[in-house]
Amino acid sequence: MSADIKMKFFPFLVAIPLLFAGCSNQNSESLKSRSKAAPVAVVSVVAVRSAVEAGGDEVLLVPATAIFHKGELTAVFVVGADNRLTVRWISTGRSMRGDLVVLGGLDKGEFVVGVSAPALVEGVTVIKSVTVEDQTHE
Amino acid sequence: MNDGIAGKLAKQFINSKITPLLMVAALLVGIMATFMTPREEEPQIVVPMVDLYIPYPGATPAEVELRVAKPVERTLTEIPGVDYVYSTSMPDFAVVTVRYKVGEDAEKSMVKLWSTLMKNMDKMPPGVQFPLMKKVSIDDVPVLNLTFWSKTKDPFQLRKTAVGVADELKKIKNIGDVEIKGGLKRQVKIVLDKEKLRQFNVSPLQIARQVQLSNSQMRAGDFKQMNEEIIVRSGRFLENADDVANIVIGIYGSSPVYLRDVASVVDGPEEVNNYNFFGWAAAAPNGSASGEYPAVTLTVAKRQGSDASKLADKVLARVDNLKKGFIPADVTVTETRNYGATATDKVFTLLEHLIVAVVAVTIVVGFFLGWRGALVVFASVPITFALTLLIYYLLDYSLNRVTLFALIFVTGIVVDDSIIIAENIHRHFAMKRQPKLQAAITAINEVGNPTILATFTVIAAVLPMVFVSGLMGPYMSPMPIGASLAMIFSLLVALIATPWLAFRLLKTEEGHHEEYDITKTGYYRLFNTILSPFIESSFKRWIAFGVVGLMLAGAILLVPMKAVQMKMLPFDNKNEFQVIVDMPEGTALEQTARVTKEISAYLKTVPEVRSYQYYVGINAPINFNGLVRHYYMRQAKNMGDIQVNLVPKDERKAQSHDIAKKVRAGVQQIARRYNANAKIVEIPPGPPVLSTLVAEIYGPSQEQQIALARQVKKVFQETPGVVDVDWMVEDDQKVYDLVVNKERAAFRGVSAEQIAQTLRMSLAGMDVGVLHTDKELDPVTIQVRLPQSDRTSLHDLSTLFVQSQGMGTLTTRLRAGEMIPLSELVTVQEKIQEKSIYRKDLRRVVYVTADVAGATESPVYAMLNMDKKIEQLKVPGGYSVSPLYTASPASDEKLAMKWDGEWQITFEVFRDLGTAFAVVLVIIYLLIIGWFQSFKTPLIMMIAIPLSLVGIIPGHFVHGAFFTATSMIGMIALAGIMVRNSVLLIDFIQIRRAEGADLKRAVIESAAVRTKPIILTSGAVVIGSLVMLFDPIFQGLAISLIWGGVLSTILTLVVVPIVYYIVENKSSKP
Repeated sequence: MSADIKMKFFPFLVAIPLLFAGCSNQNSESLKSRSKAAPVAVVSVVAVRSAVEAGGDEVLLVPATAIFHKGELTAVFVVGADNRLTVRWISTGRSMRGDLVVLGGLDKGEFVVGVSAPALVEGVTVIKSVTVEDQTHE
Repeated sequence: MNDGIAGKLAKQFINSKITPLLMVAALLVGIMATFMTPREEEPQIVVPMVDLYIPYPGATPAEVELRVAKPVERTLTEIPGVDYVYSTSMPDFAVVTVRYKVGEDAEKSMVKLWSTLMKNMDKMPPGVQFPLMKKVSIDDVPVLNLTFWSKTKDPFQLRKTAVGVADELKKIKNIGDVEIKGGLKRQVKIVLDKEKLRQFNVSPLQIARQVQLSNSQMRAGDFKQMNEEIIVRSGRFLENADDVANIVIGIYGSSPVYLRDVASVVDGPEEVNNYNFFGWAAAAPNGSASGEYPAVTLTVAKRQGSDASKLADKVLARVDNLKKGFIPADVTVTETRNYGATATDKVFTLLEHLIVAVVAVTIVVGFFLGWRGALVVFASVPITFALTLLIYYLLDYSLNRVTLFALIFVTGIVVDDSIIIAENIHRHFAMKRQPKLQAAITAINEVGNPTILATFTVIAAVLPMVFVSGLMGPYMSPMPIGASLAMIFSLLVALIATPWLAFRLLKTEEGHHEEYDITKTGYYRLFNTILSPFIESSFKRWIAFGVVGLMLAGAILLVPMKAVQMKMLPFDNKNEFQVIVDMPEGTALEQTARVTKEISAYLKTVPEVRSYQYYVGINAPINFNGLVRHYYMRQAKNMGDIQVNLVPKDERKAQSHDIAKKVRAGVQQIARRYNANAKIVEIPPGPPVLSTLVAEIYGPSQEQQIALARQVKKVFQETPGVVDVDWMVEDDQKVYDLVVNKERAAFRGVSAEQIAQTLRMSLAGMDVGVLHTDKELDPVTIQVRLPQSDRTSLHDLSTLFVQSQGMGTLTTRLRAGEMIPLSELVTVQEKIQEKSIYRKDLRRVVYVTADVAGATESPVYAMLNMDKKIEQLKVPGGYSVSPLYTASPASDEKLAMKWDGEWQITFEVFRDLGTAFAVVLVIIYLLIIGWFQSFKTPLIMMIAIPLSLVGIIPGHFVHGAFFTATSMIGMIALAGIMVRNSVLLIDFIQIRRAEGADLKRAVIESAAVRTKPIILTSGAVVIGSLVMLFDPIFQGLAISLIWGGVLSTILTLVVVPIVYYIVENKSSKP
């Protein structure tokens, strides 16, 4: 019988440390708070534009200044609907008058930071008080 | 006195000095074996699987299928031991996968395959290249993954570090493959300048040829001079980018043209072809970096038969050492998989459970036999297990979940032999009829032979389970083998060690006298009141039978009512799962990376997720599931894998399966936005299959098959509980076919091959050699290619040039070397890429796959649910397609569908276990006939077997558990135990009747006397099984043993005596 009782307590014995372990998982908040750092002002936020190339194909363009590199990787900062920055890895083609053709990774009409700066990191909120250029050529 | 085997053995050992030594030796050997046996979590499965890659450049899928896949398949199916042959015919090449039967020798299978293939290579059409054979085995699954990530370093630098570490690690003993996933390799890129090429009249093909020719060095031989051998060699290898840039590729005018004149030569990272990022998630350790960083994964596989945990420890120690110097301080090495640690963890948890089970059983025994008796039993169990562990080691079994559960499972059974012997010695000591030694030997003689019979009954019950075939076999077979071994050892221990221990430990206690008057005991009074009414009144008797019958029927009814669901194996609680992202075919790498990243960003917020790593354009390190599903081939630009690591299971409340279910909606919401297909892939608890639910669609033509598949897919999507629906039909991908105008090409002196090669070199790039450097561990390739900015449109391609070979006719003469623009020679046709053709066992098939979660967790119910809807589908021809369950359709003339996936294995396992059960019943019947010399009595005893269902099925209902394959094992094993109980009962009735007691009294007495040992043995089984209740997979086994054991025991004590009474009463009367 006592064995039976012992076994009945067994799950509880197991459950108690589990409960405590569950309580200690508070570091998830620290992650969130870090990403909710103070908003950063950026010089310009521009929309990804489209243009028609010499061959007649439609291409997407971003300013060359928006692009930054990590080794061989190429990226821009995309400003989301919630004004948060995300790093977007893209591939680029030829340059067209200070703009670069985007071959993959961006959609038309998405907003990117016009001039990337080392201070910018993924997850920060940008202040939208600065002018948003949205001129579509051609 | 005539001694039996048991008595003889006992006489030899009861006073021998060697007995304690043997006991100690057995214990020590067992402990050593425990530490020496390789540990792993899941049992090793030897399923030789070989992938054949057969290139057939230029062929369409239909052509590849007809000329390559079909003939190869046909010859391969002839090889003995081949279980399945699958093939995929894609544009330009075929992949044929051969899967051998489980347990076939891998090396022999390879040899057979090789010779068969060679025999038939002459039948291959011209143009087919030599096949690449790759053996895929469980040892290819990495046991340790180390992720190198950094806030400052880029993928190129990370890869360099990882390659250096890999080279160091290769020196460790027993290490298998070390691979690097992700990162960018060093490459010398010859980036062509189209304008300059034209200006200097150089073609890309010329460059390729010149680089290849320049990159050679050769020993020309030697000559003799003045008694000396002098070696002559010529040429020089290319050693750096400058060497490459300075190659003379032609003459223009009167001056040489160097490669640097027409192209830029860059020594650096290759072009981006994958994205591999690592990030900490919500449940990361405190102070972890919050971003997402470029990563490279180093995967370590082990050699066959070696211990993963030992290897992992060695590797980690070496890496720690390297961190001091070789690995830069800003590169962090994070352990993202360690199967060694999880295996050790699992094995030690199970050993702990085993000890708990043994202690629990001992306490139960203590209640009945006193502490001395309990001690005898307690001492004999470790010896039994020590010997079994030794045999595991000798048979090359590993310590894993199944082998250890086999031990936990038999804990309650192995004590029985010792209990019976110890109890009888105890009884004889108490009777004091003989001197102590004589009493012990008499006691052993008395119960020795029945004990041997009982042991073999139980072995007979579990051993037929060895014959479970297919992938489930290796998961199952250690169970019956381990249990049978343990039973045999327990018998030996009971006959050798127990008497020695009992003789010394058990006291001839005073005052504890034998109860001679059985009618005064509580048991007798109890059974007298219970059994008498039924024995006396046949009316009451039939009511009792009716009640028992109703209970049985009610219990069985729970199954069709879906109160208890059948499933092969429930989900285990793991520390990881994967998300597989499939974008439509033809999606750019960056777009796939973007979607994968967004899904990862969502997973990052899930509170139980510790870290994640995503791989785009390259497969994540595979696990056993991925191995069977061919996830190692997921290297296309439209594919992404996310590896999600959870907090260790003891630090979270939710089971991994529940977490996977929870995140599915969020993941798929993001995926839908981008028209992607995202699947949550969990590690299956048993053998992996293509997908939980698979509908194989056969038919006369691919168009019809795809049309039906589309409808079936829709049915899947509309059925609640069916998730992650996908099919193996590619989306339409745009293809520009540049058709060579043959006449014009001929007039221009250009061959079609030249055009194809030039295009390939410009777009995909062409490796023209390697740099001969001794500093680099990864080979550094030299690649000729156009810059990315010059290959983005058809316009770019049409301005390429090819060099004329020269042509002369009566009217015109074209000199060799003239540059001809491609636009003159080709016309563009826009097409849709042909779809791959899948074949299984020599027939075309289209797969629709899905998983089940939520509304139903067992695929069988989802299948039954969808059957009706599928039958109503309209197909050309007006017949209805009714899904098949067990065999593929007889012909391809009509459209047909077969269920596969988990169902196929479930079906095989339950079929084999069912057969095993039938065999068990026959063997038990034979054994008892042999013992009792009656055809009727064994049938009465076997009544107890169906009675166990009264407990088993409602037991599963109470626990809310699935009736699984392990439940079935429990049921079969229980049959052996329950029959043994009946044997004990009826044996005693017959003894009493032989002594002259009347039937009724004999029946009641027997129930009263045998209750104690029956409850003791059944109780031991029940208590021993309690620890198993906490394991998700073996829960079913525990429930069967506990509930089935309790109810069957109670009913056996009542029903079996009554039935025996009726039968004997009838046969004695007339």
